[in-house]
Amino acid sequence: MKLLGATAIEDKLQDGVPETIACLSLADIKIWVLTGDKLETAMNIGYSCNMLRDDMNEVFIISGNTQLEVQQQLRSAQEHILGLSRVSSAADVEKSDIELCPETVLEEAIIAEYALVVNGNSLAHALDPGLKLLLLDVACLCKTVICCRVTPLQKAQVVELVKTHRRAVTLAIGDGANDVSMIKMAHIGVGISGQEGMQAVLSSDYSFAQFRYLQRLLLVHGRWSYFRMCNFLRYFFYKNFAFTLVHLWYGFFCGFSAQTVYDQWFITLFNIVFTSLPVIAMGLFDQDVNDRNSMRYPSLYKPGQLNLLFNKRQFFLCTLQGLGTSFLLFFIPYGAFSVLLKKDGSNFSDQQAFAVTIATSLVLVASVQIGLDTHYWTAINHMFIWGSVAVYFAILFAIQSNGIFGVFTSYFPFVGTSRNTLSELNVWLVILLTAVLCVVPGLVVSFLKVQLFPTQTDKSRKGRGPQEQSLQRVRRTSSRRSAYAFSHQQGFGELITSGKNMRRSAICSAPPADEHYNHCNLFNHCTFHICFICGINHDMVNKQINF
Amino acid sequence: MQKKENQEVENRPDNTAFTQQRLPAWQPILSAGIVIPLFVLVGLAFIGIGVALFVTSRNLHVLEVWKNNLLWLNMALYVFFSPQGPVFFYYGLTNYFQNQRAYGVSKDYNQLSGDLDYFTFFFSIVPDSTCKPYRYDVNNKPIVPCGSLANSMFNDTFNLYQMKNGVKEEVPLDGKGISWWTDYNIKYRNPSVNPLRNAFNGTVKPLYWSKPAYELDPTDTANNGFINQDFLVWMRRSALPNFRKLYRRITDGLPAGNYSLEISYNYPVIAFDGKKKVAFSNVSWMGGKNEFLGIAYLVIGSLCLVMSVVMLIIYAKFKFPEED
Repeated sequence: MKLLGATAIEDKLQDGVPETIACLSLADIKIWVLTGDKLETAMNIGYSCNMLRDDMNEVFIISGNTQLEVQQQLRSAQEHILGLSRVSSAADVEKSDIELCPETVLEEAIIAEYALVVNGNSLAHALDPGLKLLLLDVACLCKTVICCRVTPLQKAQVVELVKTHRRAVTLAIGDGANDVSMIKMAHIGVGISGQEGMQAVLSSDYSFAQFRYLQRLLLVHGRWSYFRMCNFLRYFFYKNFAFTLVHLWYGFFCGFSAQTVYDQWFITLFNIVFTSLPVIAMGLFDQDVNDRNSMRYPSLYKPGQLNLLFNKRQFFLCTLQGLGTSFLLFFIPYGAFSVLLKKDGSNFSDQQAFAVTIATSLVLVASVQIGLDTHYWTAINHMFIWGSVAVYFAILFAIQSNGIFGVFTSYFPFVGTSRNTLSELNVWLVILLTAVLCVVPGLVVSFLKVQLFPTQTDKSRKGRGPQEQSLQRVRRTSSRRSAYAFSHQQGFGELITSGKNMRRSAICSAPPADEHYNHCNLFNHCTFHICFICGINHDMVNKQINF
Repeated sequence: MQKKENQEVENRPDNTAFTQQRLPAWQPILSAGIVIPLFVLVGLAFIGIGVALFVTSRNLHVLEVWKNNLLWLNMALYVFFSPQGPVFFYYGLTNYFQNQRAYGVSKDYNQLSGDLDYFTFFFSIVPDSTCKPYRYDVNNKPIVPCGSLANSMFNDTFNLYQMKNGVKEEVPLDGKGISWWTDYNIKYRNPSVNPLRNAFNGTVKPLYWSKPAYELDPTDTANNGFINQDFLVWMRRSALPNFRKLYRRITDGLPAGNYSLEISYNYPVIAFDGKKKVAFSNVSWMGGKNEFLGIAYLVIGSLCLVMSVVMLIIYAKFKFPEED
């Protein structure tokens, strides 16, 4: 038989995929590949994305056909990994029984790199209730997990397995209709719009056109979102504790009769009008590190994964700060008002003047505090913060004006108070003292924290980012592996040369085409399905190979 | 091709500075170069203010005399300083919770603004129900002004005499304008009926009052009804349980010497463990004598300076080795 030619189908990876995967793994994000392709194709994709590397210690392939086989393969993989690491760190802490779920500490103690490749059949067995925990344990011990020949339902099952049994947030990204169930199952579903249609996009939480945008989605926008949300929450709790706990202290001095310190209107408008807009602006626009640096230093993503910015400790601290602020907000005016007199001698230590003084101090303290918490001052932030203070004073004088008292007499009993109170110098001295004293401790603590215990975020804000991790290491492509591979374990040469699959009449006498068969210098990172075709003339063969 | 391009442009998200989070912004960093000078500045400013307040307060004088629960009708005072300017005469109460909630809301704003509709007892809608139990008397006649706050008005009276060569000379006490201008002119209004007593037909005075509202001050017709200055001072309820309220103003000051204070002791305080006192004080730009503010400013100012020094030391110690 004479070889006439070969055709190939190239399934190119999108631009930037290996770089994105490398970057995300630097951000401590574990990446699993669930594909419907065959084992060889999937492994080639793994190599071309630098997820599988030649310098990995071991690549475990689970391809058993029965449950028992799969179990044995998984067990042996687990023992191999744990056995070796136990030997290497024998001097360290004694590891407990291997049968128990290894904790995350154990997983991180493993320095060697392993990969797990699971076939679709085996996956069906491995997802049985009896085996799935074992599968999850082994998978979490490995750096890379690739599942091939996976059905859409199994994709969803794998995601669910991780979701329910690990305290991890899962993100599923896919582009075809067969990824829809996985996208819907994960915590965050991302659809890629493009060649394969819009089904993935329609069922996803986020969608974009190229895989490499995932890097920006997570490292920039995801990180900012976490940072903003935590700041927002902490400020909101602080502000409300400072506002409300003043009544706790006042209770001791008003016979616990539930007399409010503030004017009723102030209580209504405080959270809605006076202090809401600045914190909304902070929640929308704040940036601790700009987007370029967020992408450059993937390790800045870690605080979000470890939940460092808003946990029980942070909540307790902001509660404490609110309590302390309310204490100062009450007791400094208390100390001053016991003997306060107006310039004209008339007495001054009345309930309404007290209320206006504390309310003004509170609004100023809250505004200064949000000013200190805002890292990124856009024009909108400026407008909202200074505008809120201005609106407070405007509404204060409006509510306590003569006009509105004339119309709604019994609803506005504070008439004239702000005019009498805020025209006295000693009241402003009290407000200034209170505001400064409430803000200064927080300022000192945050300054000292940045100087003595700077986090990576603090360092990158100053321009000295964390050690740029060896992205270079990951970009190095393995030298032994060629750019393209055959997707069959063994060729069909024997079959063809035996002639069993040929009909006599189909054999034609074309000249050999091997001199025209050139190894195309196609792009790196491609895989080919190569099939041998007979009975086609030269021209067509040439056209097909030379893209 | 054209259509595909258009479609691409349509699907592309907005590329404005606002939507792509590229708004120009100021990014302040809390560096040592800003924080430490700020603390020094604040510390110095506060110490300056504290010194001014303290010194001014030192020059003000307050003479406080406690009236014990004995019925002192005549008290001898010796004034040994000669304050400049007018001297203000206050009465004070302790353990008196004017800030108790139910007590404080117990009044009818509409009555006090002179609305005659609220002077009648109309199917228990008026006067205001917060005035209970001082809305109407046993004969179902409405009490004007109703409520506990008005009912408990302070009714001791004082007369001050200077002892000049054994002769008692009365010191004129000025009761005009001792309440807030807005109270006198806006918040409290008499019903516009002339003479005033006709407006109060069909009503009774508060139970603890000895005189009805329209006869509170026989010497001055403009000082009756709801705009009586003593009444206004009393109705401005105080925030704290120990308070002072302005009684009268001594416009010409108090030369040093012997004085005698005559008190008609009407107001009962023994029942709730309260105490009464009188105080004489002069004022300045910062109000009355207030050592709390001066001392607080001095303390906070020095704390700020100390903190700035501490932060400077910490910064120098921990930062320089790092930068090396």
